[in-house]
Amino acid sequence: MITLLKNGKLYDPAHGKNGVVEDIYIRDGHITAKPNQADKITQTYDLTGKIVMAGAIDMHSHIGGGKVNIARMMLPEFQETRGYSEPEAHICTPNCSHNATPSATDTGFRYIEMGYTAAFEPAIMPINARQAHMEMGDTPMIDKGGYAMLGNDDYFLRLLSGKADQKAINNYVAWILHATQAIGIKVVNPGGISAFKFNQRRLNLDENNVHYQITPREILKSLSRAVSELGIAKPLHVHCNNLGAAGNFQTTLDTMGASDGVPMHLTHIQFHSYGTEGDKKFSSAAAQISEALNKNKHITADVGQILFGQTVTASGDSMMQHLNAKHANPKKSVIMDIECDAGCGVVPFKYRDQNYVNALQWAIGLELFLSVEDPWRIFLTTDHPNGAPFTSYPHLIRLLMDKTFRNEAFAKLNLDAQAMSNLTSLNREYSLYEIAIMTRSGAAKLIGLNNCGHLGAGAQADITVYTEQADYEKMFTKPDYVFKNGQVVVKDGVVTKVVWGATHTAKPDFDIGVEKNLNEYFEKYHTIQCDNFKISNDQMLEDGRGSLITHESKVRAN
Amino acid sequence: MINTTLWQNNISMNNSNTLQAINATCPACGLLCDDIALDNKNNQISITNSGAKNCTKSVAFFEKKPAEVPPQIAGKPATLAQAIAKTAEILNKTKQPLFIGLSTDVAGFRAVFNLSQKTNGHLTHANAASSQCNLNVLQSTGWQTTTLTEVKNRADVIVCIGTDIVSHNPRFFERIVWHKDAMFVDSQAREVIYIGENCDVSAGISPKGRHPSLLTCRAGDLPEITLVLRALVAGKKLKMVEVAGVKVSDLQVVADKLKQAKYAVLAWVAKDLHFPHAELTIQNITQTVAALNEKTRAAGLPLGGSDGDTTANYANTWLSGMALNDSQVEHDCVVWVNGFGIDKKAPKSDKTLIVFGNSNCQFETVPDVFIPIATPGLDCSGALFRVDSSVVLPLKQVRETSLPTLAEVLSEIEKLI
Repeated sequence: MITLLKNGKLYDPAHGKNGVVEDIYIRDGHITAKPNQADKITQTYDLTGKIVMAGAIDMHSHIGGGKVNIARMMLPEFQETRGYSEPEAHICTPNCSHNATPSATDTGFRYIEMGYTAAFEPAIMPINARQAHMEMGDTPMIDKGGYAMLGNDDYFLRLLSGKADQKAINNYVAWILHATQAIGIKVVNPGGISAFKFNQRRLNLDENNVHYQITPREILKSLSRAVSELGIAKPLHVHCNNLGAAGNFQTTLDTMGASDGVPMHLTHIQFHSYGTEGDKKFSSAAAQISEALNKNKHITADVGQILFGQTVTASGDSMMQHLNAKHANPKKSVIMDIECDAGCGVVPFKYRDQNYVNALQWAIGLELFLSVEDPWRIFLTTDHPNGAPFTSYPHLIRLLMDKTFRNEAFAKLNLDAQAMSNLTSLNREYSLYEIAIMTRSGAAKLIGLNNCGHLGAGAQADITVYTEQADYEKMFTKPDYVFKNGQVVVKDGVVTKVVWGATHTAKPDFDIGVEKNLNEYFEKYHTIQCDNFKISNDQMLEDGRGSLITHESKVRAN
Repeated sequence: MINTTLWQNNISMNNSNTLQAINATCPACGLLCDDIALDNKNNQISITNSGAKNCTKSVAFFEKKPAEVPPQIAGKPATLAQAIAKTAEILNKTKQPLFIGLSTDVAGFRAVFNLSQKTNGHLTHANAASSQCNLNVLQSTGWQTTTLTEVKNRADVIVCIGTDIVSHNPRFFERIVWHKDAMFVDSQAREVIYIGENCDVSAGISPKGRHPSLLTCRAGDLPEITLVLRALVAGKKLKMVEVAGVKVSDLQVVADKLKQAKYAVLAWVAKDLHFPHAELTIQNITQTVAALNEKTRAAGLPLGGSDGDTTANYANTWLSGMALNDSQVEHDCVVWVNGFGIDKKAPKSDKTLIVFGNSNCQFETVPDVFIPIATPGLDCSGALFRVDSSVVLPLKQVRETSLPTLAEVLSEIEKLI
């Protein structure tokens, strides 16, 4: 059983292929080298003139877990009723729609339709991991995975303030990865979510959490080192302090230096690139941030672009979301303190192009995209749904690839915002090759997915085929074909077959002795037993549809 | 290296003639206490730890002997295959079935959801009316809430509004409030305040004997009283001296305590607010919390929960994009799902009635089909949401049974639809 994709124009940056015309062979769900004459080709797709890329990977998208579900629950007005045809109707409910709070089913369908074959939930609260995996387990079509949030949990803060050695921290971080079935570690407003519970309202990089007397910088240093020493591919995923606050760019610049050169990923950096210049005391600091990103090779970032329209922001950052709640539109929000583990803040937003701040946020995101030189270190995200729903990616891609289109959009913005942005002086247009880096090979490399994001032999046969068009938004909205694990699942932008993907995890070695202290902590301070906190492989697989992929760590424990 | 068996939570059922000690999670109320110690002797369960032994809900749930009943069609014994075929036959003829009760766990709810999608069904949970009160507040202003572990470690003032909590969550004070260990507060020195009527305040007495404060008022007066409390917390000067028989000065004392607290918790149970537009009272509570959070820290705590109501609401939300609601619809068939409710009676209905329930279900009218199913947490494993919504706990099988799970039965039926 060999499938041949013939004569496609390949954009495969992992192998330096920039529009090379080549054949691809698929066997048993994987891309394989050219087979022997004796092997029978059972199916051939003539892709002459078509653009072929690996399936896209969203490395940061809030697709499952408590706060996403609260957003759905709080915002019934986001839902609309539609009629669907088979096979989508087979599992989609009438409420599946293209919006900021898609159901689990909707999420899978909308991603695969655009040629995305994997998405990563970036903020799994460890105590809530079971729910996150249940939701992702009910998300069809794509592979999934998540980053577990640490750095505001009292267990870790007690370790750090008690001067625990790095080995103890590493063991705990590894234990969390196992217990939560995650592939990476994230920190949100380091120390700040905890500080908010002690009634602190802001926390700067070198400011102490009043209770623990430790700073965000110390937290970043400890966690980034743990991730690095455990050999986790995915660098520590950092949502910096001071999200959304005017003047926060200095915190972001300082954060880049907090890990002493150990790799870190700064997420939705657009929300952290604000200055205080101008009459309105809100300005773009994209130039400073991108200059620093260009210089600091150990730092990667995703943008978190905003696009205009109604959406909802769902964040673990209860401290900053409590401040942001006054801008809620519609006027409602949920703020939670959760289980001495973290917190959450869900605040609906309507980004308007005639609003000065919103218009400038839009421009800042694009300035960052266009000013960061290395596409392997910057990633295309809207921080779904916080900046915009992920369904707007094709529009965003066109903004990056088409300067005329971008400048026309810019000319419609709030005039004061236009005056404060240098966007029209940035002439860069992203190439298809660079888009493939940002959305495929770069993302796979960042997370450590060796078999995804490329078209070489051995890769999982997740492949997207497009027809090149002058309107890149149209092109990226509706692929001709999407192959998932070697099967055609989308034809002409419509799902033709329902499949269930895998969950990617990382499970580094560690000393199980760490459970002695954890058991004591749970017994004294928690309200559940330590054993019930952990998600077993069997529990992950009990619905019988998905599968688990565990990625090797780069180092072995002693 | 890790021994992977350390990560398996399921027990294996041994020969049931031997005494077996099991640690279990109790789904009888929204607290999901997971410290339950059980003995299984010849398939008869008994609770052995003192905290759980004192919980009438846990005892009723675990220690009730399962009835040995076969599936039934119109009251007559049938094989499982016959009952499944009959159910499919009925649902194939039905225009719009109404799935009610929905007392089940995540896997069961997923199966009910799928079947309802296939049959043009409508879903409504047994607790829909009270859940809707909370949902109305969430969807109109939102709220600022907390969870049990935060309460245990931080709360220095706890106000129980319109409820004694223990009628719904018997072990709340034992496990969350008076537990001796707390990270950031002297747990034994917490201030407990009740506002309401018919409250059993005994659980609110601290281990050192300190009595809670009680402001007695009728439940129907809570809308006014919570509004005044909200105004006082917001710093409004009121001319009135009394509201619904409660002195405003007494409410001022409560307001001052809330403002001075490091972490005040305002708890309510929607099921106890039996008066029209109870959501407005809940909103008074949540807006009091929001006002406090301008300067200090406070949080709301919706409690109660039973029959997997939180689970059904959450799972329905991620599966469909929408929360369950209490809307009434036309229907020509009632499907009652009762996994947890021991001794619960099927609702009266003149429509065709299909029941998927635990073996102790009771009926006023003979159902057209009754299929006994395994109860998650007793007869099969499962997973359930705690009332504070962030925590999902696995449930264990603790006794032997030949009963199928709800998901197993419904997936067979779905194949025939």
